Amino acid sequence: MGRLIHVGGISVIVAVLGMLVFLVAEVLPLFSSAKVNPLPAVHLAAPVGSLVGVDEYGELPHVCLADGTLNFYHVDGKLMKTWKADLGGRKVTASRRDDRAGIIALGLSDGSIAEVRLGYRTKFDSANQRTVEADPSLLGIQAVGKASAVDSVWVVRAPGSRLYVVRQTEAGVSRLVGVRVTERKGLGGKVRNTPGEPFTLGIGDVAIDSELVANTADMVLAISKTNEVVVFSDTGDGFKKVQSFHPLADLPGAKITSAGLVAGDVTAVFGSNQGTEHIWSLYPQKQSDGRMLRRWGHIRDGKPLAGAALGFAAATANKSYLLVTDQSMELRHLTTGSQRWEGPAVNGFRQAFLSRNHDMLSVVDGQGDLQRWSLVDHHPEAGWEAFFGKVWYEGATGPEYVWQSSSGNDEFEPKFSLVPLIYGTFKGTLFAMLFALPIALLSAIYVSQFLKPNVKSVIKPMMEIMASLPSVVLGFIGGLWLAPLVDGHLVGLLACVLALPTAGLLFGATWARFPLSVRRHIPPGREFLALIPIVVLAGWLAWTSAPAIESALFTVADPGTGLPVADFREWWRQATGLTYDARNSVVVGFVMGFAVIPVIFTIAEDALSNVPTSLVSGSLALGASRWQTVWRVIMPTALAGVFSAVMIGFGRAVGETMIVVMATGNTPVMEMNPFNGMRTLSANIAVELPEAPLGHTHYRALFLGACCLFLLTFILNTAAELLRQRLRERYKVV
Amino acid sequence: MTVTPSRIQVKSSTPSDGRTDYIHIKDYGFWYGEKKALDAITLTIPERQVTAFIGPSGCGKSTLLRNLNRMNDLVDHVRHEGDITVDGRSIYDPTVEVISLRRRIGMVFQKSNPFPKSIYENVVYSLRIAGVSDRSVLDEVCESSLRRAALWTEVKDRLQDSALGLSGGQMQRLCIARAIANRPEILLMDEPCSALDPIATGKIEELIHELKTQFTIVIVTHSMQQAARVSDRTAFFYLGKLIETDLTEKIFMNPAQAQTEAYISGRFG
Repeated sequence: MGRLIHVGGISVIVAVLGMLVFLVAEVLPLFSSAKVNPLPAVHLAAPVGSLVGVDEYGELPHVCLADGTLNFYHVDGKLMKTWKADLGGRKVTASRRDDRAGIIALGLSDGSIAEVRLGYRTKFDSANQRTVEADPSLLGIQAVGKASAVDSVWVVRAPGSRLYVVRQTEAGVSRLVGVRVTERKGLGGKVRNTPGEPFTLGIGDVAIDSELVANTADMVLAISKTNEVVVFSDTGDGFKKVQSFHPLADLPGAKITSAGLVAGDVTAVFGSNQGTEHIWSLYPQKQSDGRMLRRWGHIRDGKPLAGAALGFAAATANKSYLLVTDQSMELRHLTTGSQRWEGPAVNGFRQAFLSRNHDMLSVVDGQGDLQRWSLVDHHPEAGWEAFFGKVWYEGATGPEYVWQSSSGNDEFEPKFSLVPLIYGTFKGTLFAMLFALPIALLSAIYVSQFLKPNVKSVIKPMMEIMASLPSVVLGFIGGLWLAPLVDGHLVGLLACVLALPTAGLLFGATWARFPLSVRRHIPPGREFLALIPIVVLAGWLAWTSAPAIESALFTVADPGTGLPVADFREWWRQATGLTYDARNSVVVGFVMGFAVIPVIFTIAEDALSNVPTSLVSGSLALGASRWQTVWRVIMPTALAGVFSAVMIGFGRAVGETMIVVMATGNTPVMEMNPFNGMRTLSANIAVELPEAPLGHTHYRALFLGACCLFLLTFILNTAAELLRQRLRERYKVV
Repeated sequence: MTVTPSRIQVKSSTPSDGRTDYIHIKDYGFWYGEKKALDAITLTIPERQVTAFIGPSGCGKSTLLRNLNRMNDLVDHVRHEGDITVDGRSIYDPTVEVISLRRRIGMVFQKSNPFPKSIYENVVYSLRIAGVSDRSVLDEVCESSLRRAALWTEVKDRLQDSALGLSGGQMQRLCIARAIANRPEILLMDEPCSALDPIATGKIEELIHELKTQFTIVIVTHSMQQAARVSDRTAFFYLGKLIETDLTEKIFMNPAQAQTEAYISGRFG
């Protein structure tokens, strides 16, 4: 038997530890950095100026030569296929890969742009071996610039249009020339392309050194030789200069040597020859005329680079990017600002790119060979900073704590700050405890010390039944019945909350002053009978006078009609500038308080009842009133037990899930406003776990939330237990 | 325990200048629910003397004692008949607050019950609840009460220590100090020495001797030697009835009732 008990006890400990181990195992990958391992280099010997690329699986690298020839190689260096685009004798003078579309744009010697689709076919042979075959095709040639060589080429595809941009040098000054081609789909499904008028973008007589064209096809950033970045934007009536800025303004002598847009195309990373990194982003800023306009602004400077910046490659799958310097390669993440990996320098760096699946990193070295690294970085957006720090997300006006795990938009960047959830957890607990603590403790005192035992024997089991109510039922009642009720009768309810305790206390205070001849009619322990009509009357008065109170105190102008209305909700919005939601913290406080009251009550009542009667009689025999006895003898003696009752109630409120899920709007906001909702750690897990992809950052972030909850309750309970032990030691009764 | 009356040393009763019917119990009956615990008790207790209630277990002596300060009010389903007057006034007078009654009638319990507070706070508890917060008054009462309870010299250096660290005898004397700090007129003692060793018992008995110059003391005891040693008058109860009451000397040397004689000579009880 003894052995059986041992086995049982140890398995409980093992089970709890096992859960902790499981949680930690799910969470740990979030905090690991990228794992990068070198793969064999591919000998391509690509000539200078040629474009190198790789297919999605990294199996078929290609080189695009100046005459339009595309050579596809096996990773062991064997030439697999040669194909030549018919460029009509024109030379390729610039080129750019668009990995997203699987197209390469070739800038030609006559100022036009050729587009080549890199079609790949996957085949399985009889042995079920997969082979990838290239099947390139020329999509077309679009005239863009003047009839001279192109220095740089961009083709950007937006819904409904394509933007072609080339940089050409004329009389020593580089300018950008662009054409927007509008695509119209005819009734038969045939696409008609209508090229617009070519336009030229220049910075006066200052030569443009490089440029960035956003994939949204409405923004061009031209970087001048003098490190000025000029922003051209097209809001529908052609490109216009809207802004210019100097990322290196406070670094005399520095030069922008690499620039690139991070996936999403609203953030630009500038690397300088002095090894500095500057991050600028497009976000709403207040203009001098008071309007909020989206403009580029400095977000922060990255950690210093190991050497002068040479090249930039953005990941397509996430907000990571690779900065290549003459001393290193540095894989960084935009949002968290973390360095995911640092690698060795590449000899004679030419080009770098990250694969679409974010699993391979390729660099073309001075010999024209392809250096490759396998990349394992499942959670680049994770990290302490992302979960617990203030993060400046793209498009936001400043660093903030945000939880927003999903959206309908692919460009969306998930935001995993746990701070709003921890805040919500404490907020919900606070409101529940504000409601539950006074009621539970005072009723425990009343029932244990003042009530007749035969009434007590009815009340206690009732409270225990209340404790056994499933929280989903409470949440259901709270969300579907109480929340609309509170919404409609808010003032009446608040008046009741004020009036009932006041009436009770006033009654208590005056009752002691009633002549004995009156009080004698109510036997001790039955005073509540005299209290009931008082409380009912107070409640009725508060409830029925609510409309009068509302019109006297909370009359404001209706924002729609301008007429005065008596509406507390509108008054709250206007007076405090805060929001008002029907499913708010007050409702949660009521309902969760309802769930917590019986827990605290039952345990506190036990603790108070267990105070030895000898102490009670000792105090009463000395002429103490029952109330004095409660405060001076019973409460201190039962403090340890009462304290653990409070802590168990607290733990229940912290971990409560269903009530919060159902009775709040589940908005992860950080406001102490009692009239908006909150989202707690537990509710967050319940709501989002079904939609979190297994192993994804979101999934692991939910487990991190669970870990936090575990840790939170663990710390709270341990602290409470230690305090309880001390209290018990202090008020130990012989 | 068999004790013959001749072996018991009975001290001579001291003449009292107080009223002989300071507490007057008149035809007093008392029920716990349907069970009758006291039956038509009529008894007078003189002022500033020690009156001992003796009798076998369940005879009602503790019940009567606890009714003198209405402690039995706290028990459910009790009722009484007859009356008890203290200093000529009924304790059941509707204009009498139970609280003020209990301030006038202190009580020491069978099992010492110090509060889980410091020695100091235990002694001044009755003043605290009466709203006294003047430190000098509290200090003064604490010292005088502890002195009268013969505990001062033992605890004066550790007044702020927990009362629960005292020995059993010290705790009981602390409870006496606590009861007299309020300057009550009557001190009820419900077998105050039953849980104590002989030395501690001796100290408490000496204390009772000292205290009766100021207080009217009613003591319930199981020990007939104790009754003989400390009391001036003794009342013998049996099965809820008062069998006999008289000077202690008389009860022990020459009881009028056969039942009394049988009890004190140890033939039952």
